[in-house]
Amino acid sequence: MPLVYDELRRLAARYIGRERAGQTLQATALVNEAFIRLVNERARGFQNRAHFVAIAALSMRQILVQRARARHAAKRGGAPQRVTLDDAVLADAGAGSGRAGEVDVLALDEALTKLAAMDPTQAKLVELRYFGGLTIEETAEALGSSPATVKREWAMARAWLKQALEGHQG
Amino acid sequence: MNRERWERLKPLFHGALEQPPHEREQWLRDASPDAALRADVLALLRSHDTAGAFLEVPAAVDPSDLHDDLDRQIGPYVIRRELGRGGMGVVYLAEDLRLGRTVALKALPPALSNDAQRRERLRREARAAAALNHPGIAVVYALEEFDGELYIATEYVRGRTLRAELSEGALGVARAHSTAIEIARAVCAAHDAGIVHRDLKPENVLRTDDDRVKILDFGIAQFTDHTLTQLTAAGAVMGTPAYMAPEQLLGQEVDFRADQYAVGVLIVEMATGRHPFATGEAAGAQMPDTLRAIADRCLARDPRERYATTRELLAALEASYRDSVKAGPDDSSERAGPRPAPAATFTPVWWWEFHQAAAAVVYGVLAIPLWNARVVIGGAIGRTVFLVALAAIIVSASVRLHLWFTSRFYPGELAWVRGRTGRWVAIADWVFALALVAAGLLVGDDQAALATLLISFGIGIAVVFLVVEPVTERAAFRAR
Repeated sequence: MPLVYDELRRLAARYIGRERAGQTLQATALVNEAFIRLVNERARGFQNRAHFVAIAALSMRQILVQRARARHAAKRGGAPQRVTLDDAVLADAGAGSGRAGEVDVLALDEALTKLAAMDPTQAKLVELRYFGGLTIEETAEALGSSPATVKREWAMARAWLKQALEGHQG
Repeated sequence: MNRERWERLKPLFHGALEQPPHEREQWLRDASPDAALRADVLALLRSHDTAGAFLEVPAAVDPSDLHDDLDRQIGPYVIRRELGRGGMGVVYLAEDLRLGRTVALKALPPALSNDAQRRERLRREARAAAALNHPGIAVVYALEEFDGELYIATEYVRGRTLRAELSEGALGVARAHSTAIEIARAVCAAHDAGIVHRDLKPENVLRTDDDRVKILDFGIAQFTDHTLTQLTAAGAVMGTPAYMAPEQLLGQEVDFRADQYAVGVLIVEMATGRHPFATGEAAGAQMPDTLRAIADRCLARDPRERYATTRELLAALEASYRDSVKAGPDDSSERAGPRPAPAATFTPVWWWEFHQAAAAVVYGVLAIPLWNARVVIGGAIGRTVFLVALAAIIVSASVRLHLWFTSRFYPGELAWVRGRTGRWVAIADWVFALALVAAGLLVGDDQAALATLLISFGIGIAVVFLVVEPVTERAAFRAR
């Protein structure tokens, strides 16, 4: 786990060094690159790629949530004497929503935790698909199930999460 | 919802989803007697049908999100990402929450915090630098202290360093020259305000996205950079001293002329792609002599041999730039190989200016023999010839002096003035040449010497006007 986490951070540092920041990367690209590097280098601790991406996806989820939380805190209480010239500027700095697409990462994280209590497999699946960037087939492989099943579970998890994020949880 | 209920809901959802949309409700009614559960399933189905691309695109990650320092907030500044890391400090891209503006936040070496004297100097320099207001200099916003650590917030300039540009090779003489002028302008403004950079180098010069030059770290570079602090007790330098003036390397007192030295290095490096003291083939081979001479003077070992003021250096750069534009690319800017030093002064434009001034003087002097001729010829004819010649002298000489003056002091208007006066010069010259020849013929044998003088000058002027003048004109103004 720390290995993957470190590797993801190291990759990010490399992107920053190349002045590629400002530009966002898809989680998929980052996870893939981290995997290739770790496998090529020395990591023998992973049973297979599926095992690796499961860990990477979890790392990614934690990183994004952590980040969103920090932004949230910065917006709310971090700067007591700030002069708010334009609320849009601060909103743009991305308090809760993070930069992960249109999705509110903090709300999603919360909903995912609730989902995990009812259906751990579906929660894992969402983590792999969304934070790990895996395809249906790759997810099936990682979870040891069939693509058809993954597709069905994905549809349901997505429906429930959307409902949850819209505020009327069933 | 609890797990048990979820387990009951799940097959209903999957089952209903397999039905055509309009049959789902009926199917559910048949499948389950629990109305509340059915309502939940229907709600979930509706959510499914409207989910669109929700979560279908994987999370996007800003690389800086993965960076360690990222969650940090320093005072009112939220760190966005790292811009660079040097031997002694880190530069962040940060957002000043108070004003909502983006800044470059530079952490200063911790050692500075303990040295009261240097801190005081830093405070003074930062204050002076903050007062600098020049488009070619990145603005210093603030000197901050948080938790005993010092930071400097400056304008964040988007662009490319000169170092990056040079890594692709020389800029070419014209671009190097104009860039040198922009650098010199900024440096000059700072020197006027009494601020010395002390660490000018390609890493500190940025070309912005809209093609302007901006110098970073004016006045504060000495505190943020490691070059000076890496001087060992023995005076040996551990950093890259490539841009430091000799006196700076020796650890002596440094003034604005140290910046001139650095500008000299930059000029050579931009023009040739090589450091002036790079070993191997002559680095200055492709530099025009005037630019070479300016760089050489900047690079003088003794600071007293450099420019007395940076304004003088700027003026020299600007003048030679004007000349090289006027002289055209054939003459000074792309000429390879060494030329005798004075050649740089005697550009075609110089010759053309000389021609105008000399002609005006010679025409004026010729009024004396013409007066003699008038006395010899006598009568109305003598008077007429003299007056015609005098009128021609006055017109031609004054127009030529006007051209000379314009070329010297208002080169931008020269083309316009030449176009306006060209015909007058031609008419006056022809009239003058004819008047000289006529006077010479009328004087005749009585004063053979005077006659010969007048006739030969008449013919001479005609020849010069027909042959010599067009050549100098063409040489001087080919570029236009």
